[in-house]
Amino acid sequence: MKLEGSFPVSAPRPVVWEAIRDPGLMAQCVPGCEMAEQIDDTSYRARVLVKFGPISARFNLVIEIEQEIALEEVRSRARGEEGTRASTVSSTNILTLSEPEPGTTLVAWSTDFSISGRLGKYGMGLMRKKVESLSAEFVKAFAARLEESAA
Amino acid sequence: MSFVVAPQTVDEAIAFLAANPDARPMAGGASLVAMKNARLIEASHFVSLARIEALRGIGPSAAGGLRIGGMMHHRQIAECADLTGGWQMLRQAAGLIANRVVRNMGTIGGAIANADPAADYLPVLACAGAEVELVGPDGLRRLAVADYLVDWYETALEPGEIVTAIELPAGGDGPSVYRKLARTPGDYATVSVACAREGAGPDSSVRVAVGACGPAPIRDRDAEAALAGRLHDPAAIAAFCATLAEQADPIDDVRGSAAYRLKLIPRMVAAAIRDVTGDR
Amino acid sequence: MAGKEVFALQINGTRREIFAPGDATLLDVLRDDLALRAAKRGCNQGVCGACTVMVDGVPVRGCLTLAGACTGREVTTLEGFADDAAMQALQEAMILSGGVQCGFCTSGMLITARDLVAQTPVPDEPAIRSALSGNLCRCTGYVRIVEAVTDAALQLARQKDTKREAVE
Repeated sequence: MKLEGSFPVSAPRPVVWEAIRDPGLMAQCVPGCEMAEQIDDTSYRARVLVKFGPISARFNLVIEIEQEIALEEVRSRARGEEGTRASTVSSTNILTLSEPEPGTTLVAWSTDFSISGRLGKYGMGLMRKKVESLSAEFVKAFAARLEESAA
Repeated sequence: MSFVVAPQTVDEAIAFLAANPDARPMAGGASLVAMKNARLIEASHFVSLARIEALRGIGPSAAGGLRIGGMMHHRQIAECADLTGGWQMLRQAAGLIANRVVRNMGTIGGAIANADPAADYLPVLACAGAEVELVGPDGLRRLAVADYLVDWYETALEPGEIVTAIELPAGGDGPSVYRKLARTPGDYATVSVACAREGAGPDSSVRVAVGACGPAPIRDRDAEAALAGRLHDPAAIAAFCATLAEQADPIDDVRGSAAYRLKLIPRMVAAAIRDVTGDR
Repeated sequence: MAGKEVFALQINGTRREIFAPGDATLLDVLRDDLALRAAKRGCNQGVCGACTVMVDGVPVRGCLTLAGACTGREVTTLEGFADDAAMQALQEAMILSGGVQCGFCTSGMLITARDLVAQTPVPDEPAIRSALSGNLCRCTGYVRIVEAVTDAALQLARQKDTKREAVE
């Protein structure tokens, strides 16, 4: 499933760039993220709780940075599974930053995402809505964090 | 592994749920046990609400409308002789859920807690202006359907809270109708419409809610007001239908594509309005 | 074993004690612990109807009913209807009309049909089809099952009339 979007943040590009590479800050913005830490220069570990109707799934994710152009672009790959269960998620992601006017950064993202296992019950149509609403939550939290620290 | 407990009162159920955060309340079990069997969910306990007398019965509410206990089965609602006029649509909806045997098991409270966007009760309750009564450790609250439904499969139910009743305001004389389009009898709706007429004279209006086309039923009171007195005017009805379709946010799934659902909405809404005006 | 508990259930008129997992379904207990195998495990999701049994006189899905929620309730399986006149009439009609092929759906069909003819003495075809819509059959195409229920219902109604006349 492919999804993409973009959102503006009232902060200069270097500030946004630092933020997206800060696991602690990202953990506070990703809905359901219980923990995030850096493993080495290019990989991170995170634990995310996804709730959907009566199903709660806790994914252990490994995120690897595949390519990085400072201040401009990050290409990453994430893989995760749900403990002993057969649920898995994987995604390849591209994030690009631009500064159309000074002090405002445009964050554009795209992801190619797949999920199997328990949450597959709901089908792709509904999963898309869920991912959309989670990304909207993230955008809100992320923008708020940056604007708060910029102020 | 989990265990079944069957408290006798709402207070006991709430206390048990508060003391056992991994316990889940269980109404009829028709959806919950299916999910357990498929290993989609886990619980330390299933707290069966089936033995709580206070969750049963259909009768007058304190507010002058109708109160339906959360543990009333679909079959009991489908056979309830009090559901006439403006409440007739609720009876029809209950009778179209699944099949005879599952209607003996499933309950209105369970269906509302599960909040499947394609479930039959939701558009009817939105159309009727019903309130969902919730009881939890912090007491009792009543929410309008629009406030109760938060997102896809997401409700205002807090952990440890249960649906104890549904309250319908005085229903008016109706008529009312529930129209459901499904792939096969007993399936969830591809699109559903609940429609009730208000008043009988030339100024009469309709209340309309569309189900299965978004996280919650679509209802537009301004559009309903604009249609008042014009229930026999095809252009006004077409505009009304278009307004509702614009607010839809359907998904592609096995029951139909989003595009198909968007095509169905105006046809089904117009048909439901004709049902309550008697126009053909 | 941890997670198991003892249930006392009233099954076909007899009290039975079962030692089973706390979240066992009624169907699990009937088939695996009590060897009552008329009710079948088809989908285990409540869709196919092959597990239909009666609890307190009402047909329900055995697979969607937790055994632990049935204590103090009266459970009746097809085995419990061995001496029931209406069930015998339905069974004979199913055999005569060819409503049984592989037989997997038959127990559930019979329980549902038995409830229908008890509630609606002479159901018409749409009523029969609607009542049986939650019982899936992959062999017969339903025509012969519907015929069987029609015939059995007519026969039962006739018997009732004859009895009434005899009393009067």
